[in-house]
Amino acid sequence: MAKVSELRIAGMTLGEITKIYVSSTLGKVSIALFVILIGASIYAAVTLPPNFGSLWNNPLYWQIYPKDAPPAWVNYLSGNGYAPQVMFGREVSTQGSTVRFSFEVDNEYSVPWRDLYIVIKPMSGSSTFTAYLSIRRPDGYVITIGPLLISSMYTEVGTTQQVESQVIQFYLAKYGYMLTVPQGLSAVPYIFSTVSSGSLKPLKGIYVINLTLIANNPSKGIGNRLISLVLEGNVYGLMGTDAVGHDLWLGLLAGFPLSLEVGVVYALISTAIAIAVGLAAGFMGGVVDEVLTRLTDFVILIPAFVILVVLSVLLRLNIWQAMLYLAILSWGGAARIIRSITMQIRTAAYIELAKVGGASNLWILRNHALPQILPYALYLIVVGVPGAILTLAGLNFLNLAGANYPTWGNILYYAEQYGALESGMWWWVVPPGLLIVLVAVTFIVTALAIEPIVNPRLRR
Amino acid sequence: MSMLRGIALRIINLTVILLVVLIVIAAVLSGPASQVLKDTIQRETSEMVTTIMLHHPMTPAQAEQLKQTIIKQLENAYGLNKPVYIRVFYVLFNILSFNWGFSYYPDAYGVPSGSVVSIIMFALPGTIILDTLGILLSALIGIELGLRAALKYGSLYDRAITYYGAVDSGIPQWWVGILMILVFAVYLRLIHSPIVFPYGGIVDPQYYNVWLYDTAKAFINPKILASLLYHMVLPMLTVFIVNIGGWAYFARSVVLNIIREDYVTFARVKGLPQGQVVSRYIMRPAMPAILTSIFISIPFIIFGGFLLTEAVFQWWGLGYVLNIAIVGVPTPDMPVILADTYMSTLLYIVLVFILEILIYYIDPRIRESQG
Repeated sequence: MAKVSELRIAGMTLGEITKIYVSSTLGKVSIALFVILIGASIYAAVTLPPNFGSLWNNPLYWQIYPKDAPPAWVNYLSGNGYAPQVMFGREVSTQGSTVRFSFEVDNEYSVPWRDLYIVIKPMSGSSTFTAYLSIRRPDGYVITIGPLLISSMYTEVGTTQQVESQVIQFYLAKYGYMLTVPQGLSAVPYIFSTVSSGSLKPLKGIYVINLTLIANNPSKGIGNRLISLVLEGNVYGLMGTDAVGHDLWLGLLAGFPLSLEVGVVYALISTAIAIAVGLAAGFMGGVVDEVLTRLTDFVILIPAFVILVVLSVLLRLNIWQAMLYLAILSWGGAARIIRSITMQIRTAAYIELAKVGGASNLWILRNHALPQILPYALYLIVVGVPGAILTLAGLNFLNLAGANYPTWGNILYYAEQYGALESGMWWWVVPPGLLIVLVAVTFIVTALAIEPIVNPRLRR
Repeated sequence: MSMLRGIALRIINLTVILLVVLIVIAAVLSGPASQVLKDTIQRETSEMVTTIMLHHPMTPAQAEQLKQTIIKQLENAYGLNKPVYIRVFYVLFNILSFNWGFSYYPDAYGVPSGSVVSIIMFALPGTIILDTLGILLSALIGIELGLRAALKYGSLYDRAITYYGAVDSGIPQWWVGILMILVFAVYLRLIHSPIVFPYGGIVDPQYYNVWLYDTAKAFINPKILASLLYHMVLPMLTVFIVNIGGWAYFARSVVLNIIREDYVTFARVKGLPQGQVVSRYIMRPAMPAILTSIFISIPFIIFGGFLLTEAVFQWWGLGYVLNIAIVGVPTPDMPVILADTYMSTLLYIVLVFILEILIYYIDPRIRESQG
């Protein structure tokens, strides 16, 4: 039986490599980081809806989400008691023209909800409804709101003139207090407030919200619909929201698979070019070497970023095309390294021996050169990823090289455009950058960890 | 004599590379550059015909015919009707002769004239100051830190520098700038700190006129100089945080290789003081290698980092102008983007050239091999 030849890289079997890798602290850290990255990518791929890109770019979808809201967990840190987003939904299937149901909500927050939305899905253009709301407060009073005309999927309750005057009427009648609702702001927070010793205070306790919905066309009835009441919070979810109401957690999640894919594909392409050029230059020598070395020097000198900027503006590149151009523009450094390794191999004594023994160039390439170059290639692939991720994030920060999905750089671009920085919205500005750093650092740590494997001189 | 010849060779080498870079850029840009030129011709011809009509009344048809004739002649003169490979050289000539046309949105840049040359020239001092100072200072500090780390090989300090240097290249410089503004401009104001830093800008707005039209004067006036330094604190800090690590990392690994050489051990054994060993026996041979290794990473540092950092801090430089030209106006302002690309490439080539001369000057091996 023929002995199965064992695959050896840099003189080690795969088992030995794994052992060295796992035994070092850096190797462990890099494995942990990769588990996080890949886990987040898989989670994103599974949980995000397939049309997430178009959802993200549709402001209507996000209008019931709070705007500029910090993450919900700031409540634990600051104890401020911001009310989080609350949503009640009920499936209705009736031929009758009236539905009535009630929800309970416990207001234990010192900053009450900002606004109230009535959401009806699906909503066709022809059918309209009339809604009445009556809210029984913990102090026993009842605020009645309505009739409200509902003609679209999302109906905002708080800022209509009618609701404002109804809330003001309530305050006049019950407390003799002259309430002023600031121009353009919602009256909903005042539903959850009371007057004590002449000033407004939040009123904590259980609120019962009764919704009565009447179809304006009795012959059609209500039909099959999902009717929801949304209380717009002051804090939202894990990562807060931006000025449009985008749930930033979803946006950040969508960036994981995208930046990993783009970075890795870039590194594969640019390293492939570098190996081709470096091997050709190192092995063929002579005129080919001279020309390819000049070309490499030239590519190293090319200011890739500005050229990419110009190309992205001109050709309206998306992130994949920009990645491709970047790979074409920036293989120089890697090719130079591959060439010098190839030169070392070529001038080694065993190669001359092989030649004397009648080995063809191709045989030498396959059996002597490639096995020595491959570990370096792997190293170069890992080293190449952070640069690409940073460069493409920079392009995205200029709102160039966009993707269907939101990218971290693009989220930062919108943050800067909306003045998130000046208003101190850290939850919009800090996490995207941290994630860019996380991905880049993962690959850097991996490079550090595989350095001793690739470069035997560093092995202890 | 031999040294001069070597430098001359380097100059020729780099000029060729600059020309090739320019030709590539010109080839890529020949389409939009021609469009820019055509727009300029249209505009100038319209003005010309209007002036002529003041003295020689014409019918609209005659005027239109005259206009078309002039446009045709000018396009001929500029080579716009030639095939692409010839037009590239016209574009090249226009770029090299500062014939950059007019901005589509002249009001967006805070510069009164809409000519691209003035927009770019007003932006140049800011970029030169930030980039030169930033690169120079972070190189000095970084090499010093890396050297110390290598001398204390294996210590806690050494490991800290190594990790910092490695991680540093994975941090987007512009994002660090954003964090700096968030912490030192926004939050310090929120807690009413006595010392706060500006949100951005290059000098206080009331000095913009002096800065733009009389930059040299701005450096003599102590008030404006103080304002400039005050505005420079955060961008410079950002540049330091992100760039020092890289220098330190390269310097450390180069010095570590040299420190194990026999002649260093011998110098130590000979009883030479530590300072002399470091400066003459370690740093002298290390410098070319450090400079060369930083050489390869410069395109990323300069073009990724500095341009966007300027944009974040609204530091009146090429990056700031580029940012306005791309996202600050309704449609991309092609003439400005073009000229900005060319100017930053030129700056970059000059920087590379200075580095080359420096390496040449301090590395006798290169001198000998070429001399």
